[in-house]
Amino acid sequence: MKKRLDVFIVCVFTLMSSAFAPMQSHYVNDFLLRNTDGKMISLSDYKNAKGFIIVFTCNHCPFAKLYPPRLNALNSKYSLLGVPLIAISSTDTVMYEEDTYPNMVTKANNEQFNFPYLFDEMQSVAKNFKAQKTPHSYVVWKENEKWVVKYNGAIDDNGMEPDKVSESYVANAVDALLNNKKISINETKSIGCQIVFRKK
Amino acid sequence: MKKCLFISLVLAAIICIQGTNAQTVQLIKFEQLKKRAFNQSDTTYVINFFASWCAPCIKEIPIFKQLIDSTKNTATLVLFISVDFKSEMDKSVMPIAKQYNMPTIYLLDEPNANKWINEIDNNWSGSIPATLIVKRAKRKKLIVAMVDYPKLIKLIK
Repeated sequence: MKKRLDVFIVCVFTLMSSAFAPMQSHYVNDFLLRNTDGKMISLSDYKNAKGFIIVFTCNHCPFAKLYPPRLNALNSKYSLLGVPLIAISSTDTVMYEEDTYPNMVTKANNEQFNFPYLFDEMQSVAKNFKAQKTPHSYVVWKENEKWVVKYNGAIDDNGMEPDKVSESYVANAVDALLNNKKISINETKSIGCQIVFRKK
Repeated sequence: MKKCLFISLVLAAIICIQGTNAQTVQLIKFEQLKKRAFNQSDTTYVINFFASWCAPCIKEIPIFKQLIDSTKNTATLVLFISVDFKSEMDKSVMPIAKQYNMPTIYLLDEPNANKWINEIDNNWSGSIPATLIVKRAKRKKLIVAMVDYPKLIKLIK
C-alpha cells in the first residue's frame, strides 16, 4: 500500500512539474541498453559527441513506420558533425508482440538502420525522458558533463508526405545548437502511439 | 390509406437517415470541429480521438457506443474523430465504421498536428487514445488513456 502511495505521489509530482515548469531545464540520465546487434550501448560510449538525436520509436506504430528513411538521413548527416542518432523502443511487448527484441532485429536489418536501435525492456529510459508516444524525438546536448533536453516532439511537420515537409524541427534544432544559435521551436506536438507503461 | 402511406414514408425516412448516419466517414478541418463542438452552450460533447491502427482505441469503441445509447434524447453528443491519414479513409477507417456500426466518423484533415494539438490541451503530447469532454462550450477535461464507462458518466454529469 505504501509503495502504491509513493508511486501516486511521484505521478502527481511529475504531472505538476510538467504542468507548471515547462521551461525549466530537463536533464536526462545516461543509460545502458541492448542494440539489435547484441552489443550494449550507452551515451558515454560516444566520447566526442556534442549531443544526440534520440528517437523513441517502435515497430508496430504506423506513424513510426513512416520515419526510418528520414532517421537514416539524419544520422548520416549529423553523426559526422558530432550528433549521432539513437533510436529506442520502449513499447510494452506484452501488448504488442511486433515490438519484441527479435522483431526489432529483423526490422533494423530489413530497413538497413544506420543507427543503433535499442531495446528499453524495463521502460525506464522512456520514463526518464518522459517520452509519451512513438515517434517522440529529443535533441539532447552535453553541458557540464550533463545531458540537457533542448528539443522534444515531432521529427518534422509532415509524417505522411516527406516531400511536403516545410519544417524539419529536429534538424533545425541541431543546426541551431551547432551554430550556437537560439532554437526557434523547442517543443512540438504530433499524433503517435501511446507508450503504455506496464503496471508493476 | 393516406395515413398508411404517411407512416411508411416516415419509416422510410427514418431508415434512410439512420442509413446515412451510420457508417460514413467525412473529412473535417480543425476549425470546423472547433466551431461545432467548442461553442455550443447547450450541448456537452464527448470527442474521442482515435485511429484505425490504435489497438486500445478500437477496444474502447463499445464504451462510447454504450454512452451514445444511454444519453439518447439528452444534450450529450459523442463525436468520433479519426486521426488516420486521409489516404487510409476507405481502406482502414471505413471497415472499422462498418464492423462497429458507428455513427459518422470525422477524419481530421490536418497534416500538421502541431497546429491543433495545443488548442485541445497544452499538456497533451498527441498520444492516443485521447478523449476530450467539452461541457456546454467550456473545456472540461482531456483523458489521455482508455476511458471507463462510470468515469465518463461522472464527467459529463
